[in-house]
Amino acid sequence: MREIRALADRFDTLLADAKAEKYTYTLSESEKQELNVENGGFKLMRTVFNNNGSLKIFDGARMGAADGNDLTEEGLAKLIADASAAAASSPEDPCHDIAPDQGRDVFRQGVYEPDLDGFVARIREFLDTVARDYPKVNIMAAIGSFDRWHWFSRNTNGTEFEGFGGQYGFSIEFSASDGERTTGLDYTGFSAKDLDRPFIEMGDVRRHLEDIQNSIAPETLTGKFEGTVVLTPGCAAEFLYMLLSNYIGSGVVMEGTSLWLDKVGQQVADERLTVSLKPYDERIVNGERGTGDGFRSEDVTLIGKGVLKTHWLNLYAANKTGRPVVKNTGFDLVVDPGDTPCADIIASVDKGLILGGFSGGEPGTNGEFSGVAKNSFLVENGKVKCAVTETMVNGNLGEIVKHIRAISKEVCADGSSVVPYIAVDGVVISGK
Amino acid sequence: MLQDIIGSQTALFADGVQTVLRGHENRNRRVVLLKGNLVQNSRSEARGISARVNRNGTFGFASIAEYSPDAAAQVIRAATENAAFLARHSGRDLPLPPSPGRGVVPLNARIADTEQKAIIELCQTVDRYVEAHCPEITSRTVVYTEDSQDRIVYASDAFSGHLVTPRCYVYVMLSAESKAGVPVELFKAFGGFGSFADHFADPEKMYPEIDKLYQRLMDKREGVYAEAGYKTVILGGMMGGMLAHEAVGHTVEADLVLGGSVAGPSLNKRVASDLVTMVDFAHTYDGKPAPLPVYLDDEGTRAEDAELIRDGILTGYMNDRESAQRFGVAPKGNARAWTFSDEPLIRMRNTCILPGRSTVEEMIASVDDGYYLIDSGNGQADLTGEFMFGVTCGYEIKHGKLGRALLDTTVTGVAFDMLRTVDMVSDEVQWSSSGFCGKKQPMAVGMGGPHMRCKITIGGR
Repeated sequence: MREIRALADRFDTLLADAKAEKYTYTLSESEKQELNVENGGFKLMRTVFNNNGSLKIFDGARMGAADGNDLTEEGLAKLIADASAAAASSPEDPCHDIAPDQGRDVFRQGVYEPDLDGFVARIREFLDTVARDYPKVNIMAAIGSFDRWHWFSRNTNGTEFEGFGGQYGFSIEFSASDGERTTGLDYTGFSAKDLDRPFIEMGDVRRHLEDIQNSIAPETLTGKFEGTVVLTPGCAAEFLYMLLSNYIGSGVVMEGTSLWLDKVGQQVADERLTVSLKPYDERIVNGERGTGDGFRSEDVTLIGKGVLKTHWLNLYAANKTGRPVVKNTGFDLVVDPGDTPCADIIASVDKGLILGGFSGGEPGTNGEFSGVAKNSFLVENGKVKCAVTETMVNGNLGEIVKHIRAISKEVCADGSSVVPYIAVDGVVISGK
Repeated sequence: MLQDIIGSQTALFADGVQTVLRGHENRNRRVVLLKGNLVQNSRSEARGISARVNRNGTFGFASIAEYSPDAAAQVIRAATENAAFLARHSGRDLPLPPSPGRGVVPLNARIADTEQKAIIELCQTVDRYVEAHCPEITSRTVVYTEDSQDRIVYASDAFSGHLVTPRCYVYVMLSAESKAGVPVELFKAFGGFGSFADHFADPEKMYPEIDKLYQRLMDKREGVYAEAGYKTVILGGMMGGMLAHEAVGHTVEADLVLGGSVAGPSLNKRVASDLVTMVDFAHTYDGKPAPLPVYLDDEGTRAEDAELIRDGILTGYMNDRESAQRFGVAPKGNARAWTFSDEPLIRMRNTCILPGRSTVEEMIASVDDGYYLIDSGNGQADLTGEFMFGVTCGYEIKHGKLGRALLDTTVTGVAFDMLRTVDMVSDEVQWSSSGFCGKKQPMAVGMGGPHMRCKITIGGR
C-alpha cells in the first residue's frame, strides 16, 4: 500500500494551486482477499486492489463534491476540477459546512495482517461441521473475505484523521432440502478481528442453520389474527433501522414528514427499549471513527428507556433545521438487553410468530410495514408449532415499539451490531 | 470513454486455461433537490482492470484500480496465481467449457457527458414545476442520477468487444398528508438508456406524467387499507415486470437452479397458464432496442435472447459458460459484472412476460371484487419462488370499475402457483429499467410485463 499521507500533502498543493480555500477530503486504499464457496466447494479466489478519493469543495456558500478511484496526479486534478465545477454550478446554501477542528488522530482497528491459511482452515472446518451436523442444509454460497484499508482525511478547519483497519468477514447463503422439498433461501454472516472461534459459533450462524433445517415442511396459515411477533436479532436490527430512518433521519426531519418531529424528550417507546449507536463498543469490530461531516465519531443513544433523546441529523440537516447535529453517521447498532431468557419469551406467547426474516415493501414515513414472514415459525400456547409459508405480517413501526412484550437477555453480536430478541404485540398476521 | 490500451496484454494469457481481461469504468452523476434545497451534488468515476482465469473449474480473479498495460499484465498474473492457489484446496477438475465462438462485437453506442450545471438546472426546472402545480403536497424531492458502464472485453477463446451502457433518470417523489395526518408518498422515474440529452432536452415532456402522479397521490391521500386475503387482482405492467424478474427470473438463473431452486425439477413442465410466455431479451425487443441492451457479456459470449417459459411450459434457464456446459446448452450471454472489481455472475438483462390479447379496460371490467395494482416500490423472491412485492399505487375494483385508492401494501405468492391462475393478459407491455438487481453485486436490468389478471395474496389490516 502506498504512502497515503504524502499523497495527501500533494493533494493539498494541487488544491492550493486551484485556489481552493475551503474543502474536506478523504483518500483511501483497500485490499480484499476473497474466497468463494459454491454448493459446498471452493470455486473462486478474488483479489481486489482499490483506491478512493472523495472531495468536497466550498465556493463561498456553494458546495460541490466528486469522488473517484484514480489517485494519480491526473486523477487528483480531475477530482478538483469536477468538485469545483459542481460547486460553481450550485445555488448558495450556507447550511453546507464541515465540522470545526477536531484535532489530529490515528486510529488502528481490527486486524491488519491476515492469516489466510488459518482463514481457509476455518472455512473448511465450517463446511465440514455443517455437512456433519446439518445434513439437509445446502450452503449454496459462502464468501470469506479478508479486507484491510488505510484512509486519510483532512479539512481546512484543521482536522486530520488517519485510519488503519482490517477484518475477516464471512457470509453464507443457504437452504435446506429433503427429496424435492426445498426451503427458501436464508442468509447470515459476521465480521471478526481474529480467527479464535469456529465460524459456526459466531454471530447468529448456528440458530439460522437449525431454523432452516426445521423449515423443510412449512404450513400455510389461513385467515388472520392479531398476535405477538418475536423479532430475531437480525429482524430486530432491520426493523429498528426502518424505524430510525423513517422517524428521526435527516431526510424526514428536513422534509417535516417525521411523525416524531416534536417528540425529543418524550416517551415514544416502551421504557425497556434503549437504542444506541456505539462505534467504540468492544463488540463492534470496526466502528466509525470519523463522520462524513468531519466530526470525531461519538457513541450516541437515540432512544433511552423509551424516550427519544435526539433526532439523527447530519451537519447539513442540523444547520437546516436548527436542531443539534449527531456526531455519528454509521450504524454501529447496540440495543440494550432485557432480563427475560428467549425461551421464556416464546413460552409466554399465546399466538404469534418467531420472525426469522422479513421480506417487505420499504415502509414510508407513516411507519406502516407489510411483508412476508420468511424462515419463521408459528407459536401457539407457548410452543413452537410449525414453520410457516405464504404468511404476511402487517403493522406500524411507531406502534410496535410502544407494545413491547419482552426483550431477551441474550444478544447476538455479529461484529457490526449487538441486538437481542424483541417480542412485540399488535401485529396482524395473515395467511391465505 | 475508455481507450483500448489493454489488448496487447492478451499475449500473456496462459495456455490450458480460459482467461478474460476486462477494462471497465463506471461513471455516476447525482443531484438531489429536497424541497428545493440542493442536498447532493456529486460526480464520480471508478475505473480499473480485471482478469479472470478458469483452471478446470477453479477460478482466479484479480482487479486493480489502475488503467494501463502494466496493470493489465499484473491482474492477468495475479488471477492465474489465484486460480492455481485455490485449485490446491478446491478439488475441482472439470473440463473447460467449449468456445462460444470468436470474433469482435462492435461498439454499440457512445457516452456523452453533461456539465453539472445543466443537471442542476434541469432538477430546478422540474422542482419549480412541481412546486407550482402540486399545491397539496407536504414535501417534494427531485433526483437526477446517472450510472453508466463502459467495458472493453478480451477473451482467450471467445468474443471480444467494446460495449457501453449509458443510462440516466430523473425521479420525482411527492409526499402529502392524509386526513388523519399520516404521510403518503408516490414517485415516478423518467429516463432510460442513453445520455442526458437523449431524455431531458425538453423537461416539459415530463409534466403530464407529473400531473398524473400528483392526481394519484391525491387519490392515495384518501386511500384505504386493502383487505388482507387471497384476492383476484389485475397486476399492472410494472408489477408484471417485477414478477418476471423477481419471482420467476431469479429461480431460473442456473446458479440458483444448481442451489436447489424450484425450477430445477420443473424443466419442461407446466409452471404457468398457457397465456404466459417469458423471455430474457438480450438487446432487441419487438424490432427495437430493449431498455438496457446487452450485446456481449463479461465472459466473451455474444448475447442472444434466452427463452424461459413458452405457453406456460418452463423451457430454459439463464447460464454462464460453466453452467451451460453442465446443462448441455449454449450460453446466451448472461454473465455480467457491475464494476471493474466484480467477477461476472449469472444476471438477467431485459426480462419480460410477453403480451396477450386482452385490453386493460376489459380486464378491469371483468373483476367484480378485487384490486388493480399499478406500481411497486420493491420486490424480493427466493428459491421456492415465494415472492413479495411492495405495492405503492393501487385501487379497489368494485363491480368492474375502479374504486378507492389503496394505501401501501404488499402482495405475496408462490410464482409457479400464482402464474397458473393467470387467465387474462393485456395486449401491451410496460418496461422499467431504472432499478438495480442485487445479487452480491448490483446490476442494471430491464424488466417488463403486460397487465395480468390473477389470484394473489394481499396484505392489509
